[in-house]
Amino acid sequence: MPQLTYLEAIRQGIWEEMEKDPTVFCLGEDIGIYGGAFKVTDGFIDRFGPERVVDTPIAESAIVGAAFGASLTGMRPVAEFQFMDFIACAMNQISNMVAKTHYLWGAPAPLVLRGPSGGYVHGGPFHSQNPEMWFVHNPGLKVICPATPYDAKGLMKAAIRDNNPCIFLEHKYLYRRIKEEVPPDDYIVPLGKARIARAGRDLSIITYAALVHTALEAAGALSKEGIEIEILDLRTLAPLDQEAIVQTVRKTSKVIVLHEHSRTGGIAGEIAAIINERAFDDLDGPILRITGLDSAVPFSPPQEHHYLPQVADVIEQARKLKSY
Amino acid sequence: MNSLMSNHKNKPSPNGKRQHKSSTRTYSIPDYRLEVPDYIVRQVRSGDEFRYEVEGDLNTPVPPIRDSNYLSKQQCIEIYRYMLLNRRMETALENLYKQGKVVGGVYFGLGQEACSCASAYALDKDDWFAPMIRNQGSLLVRGFRASDTMMQYMAKAGSPTKGRDGTSHFGDIEKRNMVSPISMLGDLIPVLSGVALGARLQGRNIAVMTYIGDGGQSTGVTYEGINFAAVQNLGLVLFIESNLWAYSTPSEMQYRVKDLAERAIGYGIPGVIIDGTDACQVYDAAREAVERAHGGEGPTLIEAKMMRMKGHAIHDAADYVPKPLFDYWKKRDPITRFENYLVREKKWLSAKENADLIAEVERVIEEEREIAVNSPMPTPESAEGGVYCEDGCHVIKPKYGLPKVRTTKSSAGPKQTEAAVHLK
Ligand SMILES: Cc1ncc(C[n+]2csc(CCOP(=O)(O)OP(=O)(O)O)c2C)c(N)n1
Ligand SMILES: [Mg+2]
Repeated sequence: MPQLTYLEAIRQGIWEEMEKDPTVFCLGEDIGIYGGAFKVTDGFIDRFGPERVVDTPIAESAIVGAAFGASLTGMRPVAEFQFMDFIACAMNQISNMVAKTHYLWGAPAPLVLRGPSGGYVHGGPFHSQNPEMWFVHNPGLKVICPATPYDAKGLMKAAIRDNNPCIFLEHKYLYRRIKEEVPPDDYIVPLGKARIARAGRDLSIITYAALVHTALEAAGALSKEGIEIEILDLRTLAPLDQEAIVQTVRKTSKVIVLHEHSRTGGIAGEIAAIINERAFDDLDGPILRITGLDSAVPFSPPQEHHYLPQVADVIEQARKLKSY
Repeated sequence: MNSLMSNHKNKPSPNGKRQHKSSTRTYSIPDYRLEVPDYIVRQVRSGDEFRYEVEGDLNTPVPPIRDSNYLSKQQCIEIYRYMLLNRRMETALENLYKQGKVVGGVYFGLGQEACSCASAYALDKDDWFAPMIRNQGSLLVRGFRASDTMMQYMAKAGSPTKGRDGTSHFGDIEKRNMVSPISMLGDLIPVLSGVALGARLQGRNIAVMTYIGDGGQSTGVTYEGINFAAVQNLGLVLFIESNLWAYSTPSEMQYRVKDLAERAIGYGIPGVIIDGTDACQVYDAAREAVERAHGGEGPTLIEAKMMRMKGHAIHDAADYVPKPLFDYWKKRDPITRFENYLVREKKWLSAKENADLIAEVERVIEEEREIAVNSPMPTPESAEGGVYCEDGCHVIKPKYGLPKVRTTKSSAGPKQTEAAVHLK
């Protein structure tokens, strides 16, 4: 089986869907001859032509609006944002037009809005954001945050085939840093199903995207101290796999929720509420949060390091919770 | 040279009322250029691949610099010095990058120094401005030091944002009247319009200058910002930096009008085209627009034609740009042309004076580089705090004087209309 990077896996996912389904097409800024700022669509224009690899003006609202419009005619657009930070410019189209369309007038919006998000690369406040919660709080959208190449391909294909608007957040730190065997075949990873990234008995870390790897590294170190961590990779934040969350709590009784975005209003609060509602009696300690700070993501490396969760933070909090 | 005012027949008077309404459309877009390039960039298929190709006449002679209607000899030399500083600062940044001292990338204004420097030079002290990422020269003109920008790029504790942001992303509402840009293109335009609105409420007509690219102008917020300024008759001076590329996208794929200045007609404001590599044309157009702003005559759109002479940022080799375009515009280098003009044509600078000036600029940049390199990195903890304005860190007061409040003799209170309320 070929080894693919996270980025190559995403590329393969979109490519295969375009080969298979003539209604799939891409649009976005600099995605044609240049192949996109991160080169995800490199070579697409040569294969599929400028008709299906549409280089747009710099106009995020128009990109989302046009993607939605095309989807109303039965197309399956895949729209790229150069950085997910810029998706804010299209927020009204997404929140008021796309997310509400099926509920209000019964028109589905089978589109994918994809692009790089996340920190750890010194991108500064406008190229490092993790905007997933903007969308989680918009019923009607699916929010997808893959952690591995295998998942990235399978989730991308599932997103393209899904009949609902999907926000697909590609963690830019992972693009070229992780590699694994990815089957060249047609497979999907279903939306809304979390996965156990590591089994363990002592406590659970619930996380997703780049921080799955942070948690794995911490778990490796803690294992040497005899602490066995279970890591639940959520894969999608909407829908959220409540069953998987409840199960891991039942198993370990202790939970850390780990995410990159700011603490207040983050997914950890939501997960803690779900655990309270559904597995309170199984808890054997407080639910801990390890998160980004409540500020913009600062540019300077020492500041960014301080802002973002690190392996050492996970180890420290896990030890604390274990001995609770 | 025609001034802008005479070219805009339907212009509003200072109180915002139309002076007259003519039954025919009389707008025109003055073009100050001494040359109108004639080529287009096309996307073509060649073999199995798509690429960009340039078509047209690329062998035309380099035009002269247009004499300024306003600039003195001394002022020309001063602008030239800023342009030199601008370029040398960016060369220093490129070297710092190669030495691994820059965090992230470096953005260049190569080939656009005349546009950045001569535009900002046209502002008065009380005017405001906001640069885009390539306007690092404007910052120097407005009194920031080269080390400020260098420290931003190196994410140093001594940078204007103390490490929190990079590039030209900083501002100063106290002394230099500069709004900090964000990455999202176009968002400065309504903000600058608002600055003019605030000042006007305080009894002052100021000019507010900002820039947008041939790509960035495609954003919806650009329309909103300009139209707002037009309707409110605010002193926005908007430079459209038509440098042919937006990252990898040629301007042919951003818009369908021939010249972006034509958009001015749609906004109902004056628009003008200039050669962005000619410092005198840049200054004159900017100064006329600034004076219109000071006179309460509303916004002006200035399209500066030039070429981005490097990739989007340092990582980008710009392989997608047809080579002949670089050759064409290299001959139109704004600094070489201005140097020729000052040294050989006008003889306002002797060869010796010019050499001394260049040496002085190099000395300054070297000193600035030292300052920047020696600034420490911020502490990790300095990531915290400052999210809210509290504990008396700022005192907010009107910058230009308390707004004069119009009161009437009426003693009536607020109205309470009961009928026709939308949602009860
Ligand atoms: C709203 C928005 N979308 C996308 C981007 C990403 N981006 C940064 S610069 C750029 C190209 C800008 O081109 P142009 O406006 O012509 O300015 P130039 O770089 O040529 O000076 C793009 C697409 C952005 N900064 N903001
Ligand atoms: Mg441009």
